[in-house]
Amino acid sequence: MADMSSRSQKPVDRLGLAMRASHVLVAIFVVLGLICAAIGAANQDTFFLRLATEALIFAGLALSVDILLGYTGLLSLGQALYFGMGAYISALVLKEVPSFWLAMGAVLVASFVVSLLAGMVANRVRGVYFALVTFGLAQVAARAVYNTRAIGASDGLIGIPIVPINLGFGTFMSSSPAPFFIFTLAFIVILYLISAYILDTPFGRILVALRANERRVPFLGYSTWNARLAAYVLAGVVAALSGALYPMLRGFVSPELLFFATSGNAVITVVTGGVGTLAGALYGSVILTVLKSVVGSMTEHHLIVIGLLFMAVVIFLPKGLMGLVRPRIERMLSGGDR
Amino acid sequence: MTKSTALVAGLLAATAITTAAVAQEPIKIGVVTPLSGTYAPIGQQVRWGLELATKEVNAAGGINGRQIQLIFEDEEANPSVAVQKAEKLFEVQKVDFLTGTVNSGSTLAVGQTAERAGKLIATTVSFADSITTDKCSPNVFRVNARAGQQSTALAAWVAKQKPKARVYFLGPDYEMGRSTVATFKKTVEGLGATSAGEVFAPLDSKDYTQYFGQLRQAKPEVLYTSVAGNDTVRLLTQMQDFGLLGNLLVVGASGTVTSQNIGAIGAAADGFGTGVGYSTQIDSPENKKFVEAFKAANKADPDLYGADSYGLIYFYKAAVEKAKSTETDKVRSAMADLQWDTPQGRKTMRGGDHQAIQPMYVVRVNAGQFKIVDKVGGEEAIGPDECKRF
Amino acid sequence: MGGITDYIQFVLAPQMITGLALGVAVVLVALGLTIIFGLLDVINMAHGEFYAVGAYLALALGASGISFWILLVIVPLVMLPVGYAVERGLIQRVFNLPDRHVTTLLLTFGLGLVIEEALKIIFGANTQRPPTPISGAVELMGVLLPSYRLFLIVIGAAIVIAVALIINKTTLGSLVRAAAFDSNMAASLGVPVKRVFAWTFAFGVALAGLAGVLLAPIYSVFPTMGRDFIFLAFTVVIVGGMGSIAGAVVAGLLLTQIQAISSLIVPPVWSDPLLFGIMVVMLVVRPQGLFGRLGHG
Repeated sequence: MADMSSRSQKPVDRLGLAMRASHVLVAIFVVLGLICAAIGAANQDTFFLRLATEALIFAGLALSVDILLGYTGLLSLGQALYFGMGAYISALVLKEVPSFWLAMGAVLVASFVVSLLAGMVANRVRGVYFALVTFGLAQVAARAVYNTRAIGASDGLIGIPIVPINLGFGTFMSSSPAPFFIFTLAFIVILYLISAYILDTPFGRILVALRANERRVPFLGYSTWNARLAAYVLAGVVAALSGALYPMLRGFVSPELLFFATSGNAVITVVTGGVGTLAGALYGSVILTVLKSVVGSMTEHHLIVIGLLFMAVVIFLPKGLMGLVRPRIERMLSGGDR
Repeated sequence: MTKSTALVAGLLAATAITTAAVAQEPIKIGVVTPLSGTYAPIGQQVRWGLELATKEVNAAGGINGRQIQLIFEDEEANPSVAVQKAEKLFEVQKVDFLTGTVNSGSTLAVGQTAERAGKLIATTVSFADSITTDKCSPNVFRVNARAGQQSTALAAWVAKQKPKARVYFLGPDYEMGRSTVATFKKTVEGLGATSAGEVFAPLDSKDYTQYFGQLRQAKPEVLYTSVAGNDTVRLLTQMQDFGLLGNLLVVGASGTVTSQNIGAIGAAADGFGTGVGYSTQIDSPENKKFVEAFKAANKADPDLYGADSYGLIYFYKAAVEKAKSTETDKVRSAMADLQWDTPQGRKTMRGGDHQAIQPMYVVRVNAGQFKIVDKVGGEEAIGPDECKRF
Repeated sequence: MGGITDYIQFVLAPQMITGLALGVAVVLVALGLTIIFGLLDVINMAHGEFYAVGAYLALALGASGISFWILLVIVPLVMLPVGYAVERGLIQRVFNLPDRHVTTLLLTFGLGLVIEEALKIIFGANTQRPPTPISGAVELMGVLLPSYRLFLIVIGAAIVIAVALIINKTTLGSLVRAAAFDSNMAASLGVPVKRVFAWTFAFGVALAGLAGVLLAPIYSVFPTMGRDFIFLAFTVVIVGGMGSIAGAVVAGLLLTQIQAISSLIVPPVWSDPLLFGIMVVMLVVRPQGLFGRLGHG
């Protein structure tokens, strides 16, 4: 005997539900990360913790790609521009003044300004054109950095010192593998939460509406231009702040950080992880890093393996890996609501 | 009595087994080199050179009785990947020594990683002067010739061929391209030549014809170029198509024309001269033996990268045997001012900047082969010690 | 006064003529791209790699003794079924998804990666170069131009005219234009739209391969050669107008002339950013390009 009367009349908020499912996935991610950190610290491991930290830093870049691709539907082929900019500015500041907060502050301000200006140009176009414009912007910036002797030109900059990071309740050195890993994990998760929060607000929903049907949005009284520009700036800042961590981890920066391969890898990460889930960027980055390391040690033809896997994901798994997992979690969450 | 004899025998046996076990623990050398991507051919030569030397050394009993084990990782010619792989080799595989980096950005970054890990590295390919001058590191050694040495040898020869010539410079617009041109320009102008102009083309330019107008106008007698790989193929073949090679002496950096691209350049490479630290034509029994063994193993001639990588194993062997240990500090001291034999002759590792001193050759292409046309002594070719860090 | 005429005769004119030869090369590569872009609305990020495949086919077949002139016919013919298979087998699978633009871009991006690696595995990473089929040089208005480059200019023009005629004057061409303009209407009128799409893609791919054969002797052959042109090709397509053949020709020649002349004034490194700037301005001011879209113009 079906109990019809007790069925909820509330419409299910699909978006909010999806977001909460992502939060669950990220929470699991954090727990797994902490377990890895504990194991690593116990074994006095350096390499794997640093590799994982690097995966997280690039996950931040992937996050920025997902903000644009997953929410505004715009594919940016040049987010490496902001990532590299963040890395270089952070490196240059740290070489003069080894202060973590100063470097981060400089990166925040610079990336905000640059992404605002670039966004005003890039957002005049959509779709394919947007992809090409962002690609071109990154290429121009990469070339400029590659040819500027003052910032090391094609050799890049070495000699970024090890920085003490003072969080108020404690200080640790950027060279300590486990503390820096946990810090980066927290940092990226905070970036995730900020992005998720902004995208879950009415502003964020405009973006999703834009993606679904751009022509109708102005009729609802919202400005498409402001929404898309804001998303672009958010993405740029997220990428730059992630990039700022790179020289702290590795002690150097090089123009390769701005090359197309970096942007391309981020796109592969997001698509594999799951476009629009934000959590997919995090998982995707870790999975891809592990995959590259493992396959790379087996054969020097690892690029073709990654390329084929990527194509398979695009064709057969368009919602990415998170796309497989998240609906189940959504069902669990909404099942719990009743 | 039997009991104590048995005990002593047992202890002796145990000691023997343990010593044997320790003695048999291999010396691990990590190799982070481009195995994929545009620089893969260079990484291939590096690999071949290292493997040949390792085979020979291991067959002769290894270093201090220990066998050498090479562990390869692909750096994809990207410093970020190189650093990651280097750290893997240092921390996980616990290699005693590392080599293989090709571009100077990777060498510098991996050198810094080695410093922080307390290990030593050597490069057998990177020829940017900065690695043993202003960016020198106590943990980085270079067994190949640097740009300064190549320029000195080449400029001396050019001045002899065409005294007081007008020289035009064409380079790829990046750090290596510009600095190689600058070094050569300074050296050759010091010997009486004059500059007829210079142009820097973007890396991977497909069409150099847009610079031919300026080139023609400058009417140079000598062209110096530091392009490499595909860019060289395009530059020289296009120059030939446009009839520009007629009266021009074309010279360049050591990486400009190599066994990898000489086939594609074809007849346009004839007459090209460069200063290098190695040539298969070097007339010594060691070199002949080396070239034969290399050809037999790999069905290809060795080039400077293969030869220098081969020599590296012997350098490391000499250092470890002198230091009687693989500990970083001991090996570093042993490497200072160390002399060792290579197919190119005897090299000396200058302690002041960790740069190898060696005789330099000027080679000229003739019908697809590099022929030696001049030689400059080691001491003459090596520049001053400009490393201030140690 | 002599200075200026000297400059024009010895620097500017030669620069423009060699720029013309480069321009023809760019037009050949961009032609296939604009047709695919214009009709299918598909960004073929693997277009450069198909260009490379054509060059490698020419190299491999040429090494076994087949003459260059026969290769000019064989290679595009071989690439037709390749392109057809890619379109039906890969692109059609994702074509009807809502985010088609992004998905096809990503798919062809992955395909390009795979093709590039495959070429490297099969042929090795070293540069190779087929012999120049026509040797010697001619003097054109006081400028020495290699005969092969002159040949390229002539045959490039011939190919462009042929393609334009096919698209605009034949029944086949009208089917293509109809499907481009309104695929649903065309389908309901009996046009086999899916096959038209696939053959058009194949045609674009064959053009890219043909460009590869023609340009291999002057630009040499190596696995990453696809990246040589791709950015410039996309710029030409955008500035000229997606799907417009006239646009590809005008934009191709114009942009290479701008590049050639600007390299006399500013350091050559900035010529790419300059072209990029032109592309951005065009996108902002007149997004449909100089000549507008295939079927719509």
